[in-house]
Amino acid sequence: MRLFIKGGKIAAEEGPLTAGDVLIEDGVIAAVGEDLGAPPDTQVINAEEKIVAPAMFDAHVHFREPGQEYKEDIAHGTEAAINGGVTGVVMMPNTSPAIDSPAVVRSILERARDVSRIPVYTSGCITKDRAGSELSGIDGMRQLGVVMLTDDGDPVANPAVLKNAMEYATPFGMFFASHCEVAELSGPRALNEGKVSYQLGIKGSPACSEEICMDRDIRLAYAAGARIHIQHVSSAIGMETIRWWKQMGAEVTAEVSPHHLMFNEEDIGDYDTHYKMNPPLRTAEDNAALLEGLKEGVFDLIATDHAPHSKFEKEQDFVSAPNGITGLETALVSLHDRFVTSGQIGWDLIVKRYSAEPRRMMGLEVVPVEESKPAELIVFDPGGETTFSREFMRSKSSNTPFLDQTLQGRVDLVVRGSEILLQR
Amino acid sequence: MARKDFLDIASLTREEVDLLLDQATPFKELFTRSVKKVPALKGKSVLMLFYEPSTRTLSSFEVAAKRLSADVIDLDVPHSSVTKGETVKDTVDTLQAMRADYIVVRHKMSGLPQAIARQTRASVINAGDGAHAHPTQALLDAFTLREVFPDLAGRKVLIAGDILHSRVARSTSRLLLKLGVEVGFLGPGSLLPLSGPEEIRRFTDFDEALRWKPDTVYLLRVQMERQDAQYFPGVQEYHRVYGITSERLDRIRGEGVYVMHPGPVNRGVELCHEVMDYERSLINQQVENGIAARMAVLYSLKPQTDLQDTDQGHI
Repeated sequence: MRLFIKGGKIAAEEGPLTAGDVLIEDGVIAAVGEDLGAPPDTQVINAEEKIVAPAMFDAHVHFREPGQEYKEDIAHGTEAAINGGVTGVVMMPNTSPAIDSPAVVRSILERARDVSRIPVYTSGCITKDRAGSELSGIDGMRQLGVVMLTDDGDPVANPAVLKNAMEYATPFGMFFASHCEVAELSGPRALNEGKVSYQLGIKGSPACSEEICMDRDIRLAYAAGARIHIQHVSSAIGMETIRWWKQMGAEVTAEVSPHHLMFNEEDIGDYDTHYKMNPPLRTAEDNAALLEGLKEGVFDLIATDHAPHSKFEKEQDFVSAPNGITGLETALVSLHDRFVTSGQIGWDLIVKRYSAEPRRMMGLEVVPVEESKPAELIVFDPGGETTFSREFMRSKSSNTPFLDQTLQGRVDLVVRGSEILLQR
Repeated sequence: MARKDFLDIASLTREEVDLLLDQATPFKELFTRSVKKVPALKGKSVLMLFYEPSTRTLSSFEVAAKRLSADVIDLDVPHSSVTKGETVKDTVDTLQAMRADYIVVRHKMSGLPQAIARQTRASVINAGDGAHAHPTQALLDAFTLREVFPDLAGRKVLIAGDILHSRVARSTSRLLLKLGVEVGFLGPGSLLPLSGPEEIRRFTDFDEALRWKPDTVYLLRVQMERQDAQYFPGVQEYHRVYGITSERLDRIRGEGVYVMHPGPVNRGVELCHEVMDYERSLINQQVENGIAARMAVLYSLKPQTDLQDTDQGHI
C-alpha cells in the first residue's frame, strides 16, 4: 500500500511547522519533502492547510475491562483513542479483578490482540488487589511487558510498603506511578476545599492532601533509587513540588490532564457531575500555573485520565456520582481549541508532551514524521470543527463536559503502519 | 413567581424573596382564626421524602401543607436507600408513580434535591441537603427578623457555632445578605470555612464579636455526632468559649441583643438554660413562623405535573 499525504504542515516536537509531502510505503515513511509528487498507484490525501503530526499516545486511561464493561471495554476504548488521534494507551489497573497478577495481564493483552487496532499497554498493581499490603506478582507481570507499577486511585498508604516495592522492582527496570492523596485528608469527595466546597456544602479535599503524598512518594523514590511518575497534578504548589525535585536530581516525571488546564472549581456550578474527578478541579490560579508548568517543561507529558462512567452513575447527586470524565476523544481537539488557536502553545509542545514523551517514558520508540520511520501519524484540520455528540463518540460512555459542544479542530486521518485507522 | 422548585437561596432574586416574605404574613394571620385552613392546594398532593430523621421540619411542612388543604403523603423511606445503590432515577420513578405535585426532600447528600428536581415535573422543595442549603429555614429566619426589625438593611446578625457543617448558616447568611443585613460568623477556627464568603466578617472570639455590636446572635446547634473528628476539645470548653454562658447572657441582655436558634437546642453547650426564658429569645417565634413561611413557598411554586404526561413525567 502506498499513501501520499500532500501539502500538509508537518509538526515535530522541536521547531516550527514545516511544509512537506509525506509518502508512506508498506507502513514506513518512505519520503518527506516539498513537492515530492505522488508515484503512480498511490492513494493521495490532500492535507493543504492541515497539520501532519505524529500520532498521540495516552499514558493514563481506564478501560474498565475486566469487570465494568458497562462503562467501557478495550474494544470501545481503543476506538475512542483512534477517534481522538491516539494510537497507543497505557491502562490503569483499577479493574475488577485488579491487574495485579500475570494471569490478569495476560488476559488483557490477549483481549487487546483480538479486538484492538492499536497497541494496548497496561500498568500493574504495586500491591495485591490495590490493598496496600502484600506485593503483587511483580516479576511475572514484568515478563509480560509491564513496566509501570501503580495502585492507581488508592495510593499505597504505608510508606514502608511502597519503599520496599521500589527497592524490589527498580532492579527489574520497572518504574512507579502515583495518584497522590492522603486519604484521611481528602476523604471520599472529589471537590477542592475552598470557596466552592463551602457554597455547595460538601467537605472539600484540600490541595495539600495531594501535595503531601506527592512529596512523600518522590522522597521515597529518591531514597530508594527508583524512578517515579506523578499522575495528573492539579495544583500550583504540586507543580512547584515537581520542579523542586527535578532540580534536586530526582528521577521524576509528571503529567498534567487537559481538564486541570481548562476547568476549575467554578465550572461545577449547580453540582454538575461532569466536573467531578479526582484530583479535583482547583482554582483559576492553578489553571494558569499548570499551563506555565507545561510550557516550562515541568510536566513531561499530557495524559487524559480517560475515566468512563455510565449515564445513570453520573446522574446521581454530586457526592454519590463517581469520579472522572472521558478524555481520549476530546483531548487533542480541546487542547487545540483552547490553547493553540490563541497562540498559548504550539504543535511542537503537543507533539512533545502528548506523543513523544509518553512513549519515551514507556520505553517505546517515538514516531516522528521523518523518512524511514514507521508510519504512525495523524492529519488534523485546524480550521475544521468537531461536535462531541453522543453519535460522534466511540467510547461506551460520554461523561465529558464537552458533550454536545462544538470545538475548533478536527482529526481527519489516523494512520498506523500500512493501515488507515480513521478517515473523515 | 414562576418557579417550579425551591432548592436554594442563591438562585432567588430579591423580588422573589420579598414576594415570599410578604406572602407569609397573611398566612400567619390565619393562625389566629378559628378555621386555620385555606383551600389553595385542594386536590394537590405533597410528598414528604425525608431521608434524614427530622421532627420539627417534617411536622412544620406537614402542617403547612394541610393548612393549604393539600393531601400529605409521608413516605417512610429507609434512611439510606439512596446510598445503598438505589439511584436518584430509581427513586424518582417510584415517586412518579405516586403522582405527587410537590416533593419535600431532606437528605444528607448535598445536591440530591437538585438531582431529583432535574428529573421530575413535580415541584421539589429542599428541606435540607447535607451542609448545602436549608432555604425554608432561611426564609422563616428572615421573616422572624423582619417582625422585629421592619427595615432589615444595615442590621447586624452574628451566626455562631459550627458554620462549616451548617446548611442553616449557609442559607440564612445568604438570604440576610440579599436583604442588606451585615453578617458575621463566629466559631472555632476548625469549624469556620477556610475561604469563606468575603462579605462576611469572621470571628473566633465571642467578646470581640460582641464588640462588633450585632443586633441578633443566631446560635447553631452543635452536632454532637461530629465529635469523633475532634473539631474542638469538648462540650464544656465549647460552651465556655463559644456558647452563651450566663455571664454572656447578662451582657447580651444589657445590650438588647436578640437570640435565635434553629432548634433543637443543646442546653449547656451552645447556650445556657436561662436563654430559653430570655425575653429577647425569638426561638419559639421561629417555629411558628416556619409554618407560615413554608405555606408561602408551597403556595408560590408552579408544579408542571398538569402538563402532558406521556413519558411518565420526565423532563
